[in-house]
Amino acid sequence: MIADLVIALVFIGYAISVLMGFGTILTWVERKQAAVMSDRIGANRAYIRLPFTQVKLVWWGLFHGMADGLKMLLKEDFKPRTYDWYAYAVAPWVVFTPVLLVFAVIPFGGTLTPAKLWAPLAGFFGERSWPMQIATLDAGLLIVFAFSGLTIIGAMLAGWSSSNKFSLLGALRAGSQMISYELVLALTILGLILIYGTVDLDVMVRRQSGTVLGFLPAWGIVYQPFAASLFLAAAIAENKRIPFDLPEAESELIAGYFTEYSAMKMGLFMFAEFIEIAIIGALFTTLFLGGYNLPYMSDAGFALPGGAAVALPHGAVVVTQLATFLLKVFLVCSFQILIRWTLPRFRYDQVLTFAWKFMFPLALANLVVTAVVVWAVRA
Amino acid sequence: MIRDLLANLDTLLLWGFAGCAFVSAALMLVLRQPMRVAMALVSCMVFLGGVYGLLGVHFIAAFQVLIYVGAVMVFMVYAIMLLDPRDESAGTSKYSKLYWPGLVGLTALAEALAVGYWNDLPHALRGAAGEPFDILRFSEAFLSEYWLHFELTSVLLVAAVVAAMAVIRENRRHERG
Repeated sequence: MIADLVIALVFIGYAISVLMGFGTILTWVERKQAAVMSDRIGANRAYIRLPFTQVKLVWWGLFHGMADGLKMLLKEDFKPRTYDWYAYAVAPWVVFTPVLLVFAVIPFGGTLTPAKLWAPLAGFFGERSWPMQIATLDAGLLIVFAFSGLTIIGAMLAGWSSSNKFSLLGALRAGSQMISYELVLALTILGLILIYGTVDLDVMVRRQSGTVLGFLPAWGIVYQPFAASLFLAAAIAENKRIPFDLPEAESELIAGYFTEYSAMKMGLFMFAEFIEIAIIGALFTTLFLGGYNLPYMSDAGFALPGGAAVALPHGAVVVTQLATFLLKVFLVCSFQILIRWTLPRFRYDQVLTFAWKFMFPLALANLVVTAVVVWAVRA
Repeated sequence: MIRDLLANLDTLLLWGFAGCAFVSAALMLVLRQPMRVAMALVSCMVFLGGVYGLLGVHFIAAFQVLIYVGAVMVFMVYAIMLLDPRDESAGTSKYSKLYWPGLVGLTALAEALAVGYWNDLPHALRGAAGEPFDILRFSEAFLSEYWLHFELTSVLLVAAVVAAMAVIRENRRHERG
């Protein structure tokens, strides 16, 4: 029982530090990647000077994140006179908390057996093993959608309670946009659920460690390439990022639903957005890119297409899986930032038309085709 | 001591969630301002989801939050957001006049329930013997036994939506004269 608790606390600590790390790093990646894409140098002014020397550590502008964080913490915490201070205070947390909670059901590694990692640990943990996932639930994917639905309420609450017309308009836009795209998001995944026959994310990852046609890894993106692109587009819209950032379009609404928020409360909204980029990356990796496994890899080691098998020690497998997951998530995040600096913003009516008249029918068609094919193959 | 606490952690959490759900349900009845009422209902639903989760039916918990909060309450908040916040009827008295009698009655009821059922308190099911009610069993039961009820409910909902639209149309016709 205490071993369970220790493992759970270790996993929770790992998950929180990974998400916070991604949130911080991505603010830097966003600037630096934008600079690279537009042939500039980018953020390079913040530095740490070693005490009593003239040595300045710039490190490609990595310290800008620290400078931002300090600025947000030390800035005046401006509070507008609203009709509901309670809703105003609680809204950033309603946006921020569910984003973190979603990660609870995402598997970030295979099975962990502490006794095999380091023999003395056997005294405390015994020979037991744990899946590297905070909550192993049979309803995994449903939990993801349940929690991500909560952020909509936070965004609307923030806009409404600010008593500012720009905020209210932003909240209206956020509400209708997120409701529309959440539907598309769920529909695109139904095809995968049909193929894998489960909503348990860990089982989904394990089903992706085989091969298709003898050589292709059995990843979700191989089975459902169309759904994968729809999913990514809908997820970016759900996260309200360019080209779908109408709820906070600065040229129209100042900052949309969080116009009246300053200092760290505004920081929470921004941070939630960056963490959600990482969450989308983690979900996309888990559903479509084989999760924490490299191609042809499982908990035992590699099973290459030619029939050759390479067994790996437990420690190597755990480290490889953790690293693979982080790398894949980072690549998907970087791709999202690439899109953010490539496409111009939609007009608001175009955003909703795009959801209901283009993506929704396409997702439905994809589902119907998948259902027919799955039925034909099983029959 | 700590071992005892850990062994009963599920039950403690269960009662924590149940208590919070109870308090938010009470708040929902007592509060006057529409948005706060909606927030109380949202937290009640989320805490109920936690209760279901601790009883071992995770997907019912997920559906509870997904459908009631993610769909129903989102639309309610959306509608409340468009109400005029300066509307006098919501701000005149913060609570209903029956606030204190209601609170006393509620405490008495809670106490009666607690005393009456103290020995029969259910324990959290995780780790208890017996097959967990997982999504497979749920789907089988749903598609074989309850599909008709489900379909009938959806027909009822469609009828309600059509009726609501009819009422609005009728009112508009009267307004135009």
